[in-house]
Amino acid sequence: MYDFHRLHAKMVEFAGFDMPLWYRGIIPEHLAVRNHVGVFDITHMGRALITGAKSEAFLNYVITNDVSVLAPLSAQYSVMCNENGGVKDDFIVSRLEQEKFLMVYNAANRQKDFQWLVQNAGAFGVKVEDVSESVAMFAVQGPSAQRVLQRVADADLSRVERFKCGFTRLAGCEGFVSRTGYTGEDGFEVFVWDTPVDKPDKAVKVWNAILEAGKEFGIEPCGLGARDTLRLEAGLCLYGNDIDETVTPLEAGLGFVVKLKKESFIGKAALEKLKAEGVRRKRVGLRVLEKGPSPRQGQEVWKDSEMKIGFVSSGTFSPLLQCGVAQAYVGVEHAVEGATVTVRVRDKALKAEVCRFPLYDSAKFGYARVK
Amino acid sequence: MRFKDYEIPDELLYSREHEWVRLEGKEAVVGITDYAQKQLHEVVYVEVHREGSGVKQFENMGTVESVKSVSDVFSPVTGKIVKVNGELADSPELVNQEPYGKGWLARVNLADFSKDKEKLFTAKQYADFLRTLAE
Repeated sequence: MYDFHRLHAKMVEFAGFDMPLWYRGIIPEHLAVRNHVGVFDITHMGRALITGAKSEAFLNYVITNDVSVLAPLSAQYSVMCNENGGVKDDFIVSRLEQEKFLMVYNAANRQKDFQWLVQNAGAFGVKVEDVSESVAMFAVQGPSAQRVLQRVADADLSRVERFKCGFTRLAGCEGFVSRTGYTGEDGFEVFVWDTPVDKPDKAVKVWNAILEAGKEFGIEPCGLGARDTLRLEAGLCLYGNDIDETVTPLEAGLGFVVKLKKESFIGKAALEKLKAEGVRRKRVGLRVLEKGPSPRQGQEVWKDSEMKIGFVSSGTFSPLLQCGVAQAYVGVEHAVEGATVTVRVRDKALKAEVCRFPLYDSAKFGYARVK
Repeated sequence: MRFKDYEIPDELLYSREHEWVRLEGKEAVVGITDYAQKQLHEVVYVEVHREGSGVKQFENMGTVESVKSVSDVFSPVTGKIVKVNGELADSPELVNQEPYGKGWLARVNLADFSKDKEKLFTAKQYADFLRTLAE
């Protein structure tokens, strides 16, 4: 895989991996995913298998969401918190079998998450196994994703609904697909089992098969650059930018994955207290209303020129909207859709509008688009 | 001349920060090199100090943004900005398409070019410099 990337992409170091930043360019790759289809190599992500009779109880103790609602072959987004309610990581957890779960988490947190899981697993007698090194992972994303991947997969993908998953052969190799992603679009995350970095034959085979099948749909191999701009527009968090151990899921607008009705889980007391008191800041979307530089992480957000009300947690130029966009934390009283704020970029004060996510028109783009 | 994929016109002078200078009488046109634009890729915004501003050699004269990055531009010469390339406001991609042509950044009225020149590279020297970066 590395050979393909090195030959075709501008490379960058990320979380200890040499990763493709872009192949043809962030803009064409971003637009390919919004309009047609793109494929990402996301093998760098962390993957752990959790097995055992008490795996459900264990996960419900470590994470904030409720996995008891998951039937086998379904997935959910969740976070896990520290005792203060700060986010240790966000991830997708899939129930493979009644007593077997797969967690896919951030590359930068691979060691930290695995250790945290192992550390808390003891009392439940479950097995936590790091399978990051032996599994390759690709994301096929965009409105044509199903049609492209169907040419490579044996299973009928039309029966795999959003946040469902299934085992299938992919280009003849043992694999697994989950209808999830990090772009806001319809699409799949594809797992190729038993293909370690030093024996990548199966991974290369599936990657090439997806590219070949996608040709007539205008598929682009996509790098980390487009992955970031796509998730930012969609309003999805990037760990280390928009969430970290000092931010709670309630402030981040991830309350929907915090199930306070569960008996107990790490961080519950802190989150209950915060919920009762009310959060003081909230994550919002910003769309810059004038031509100029794009907002970037760390820049200040002001109300008019009088009051600092927050900061940008991630920002970029939006290839789709052709303007600067951001995710920012602002005081709750300012987290009002349609409110005008300013972002301080160097010596400029840029007018921006507070928006709900996604930042694009969800009737035209994204998984919920009107077909 | 060229180094790898990078075009390096013989008649221009260059800085270590990858700006170029074209001397035109008492003025100089400046921009960023083909190497610089290829590193940045997909320029989406260009900002140069206002017309009338003084600039000093190797000091900040503006910024160039690509989708995911922000880079300072350092003036290769000392003098006063007499014109900025207004076309870049609507078409920043000109910096990628024609870094030595329509993608120029500013025109500077020179204070003492003989002094600036001592610290600039010829095309051949700049090519050698890029080679050291590639190693």
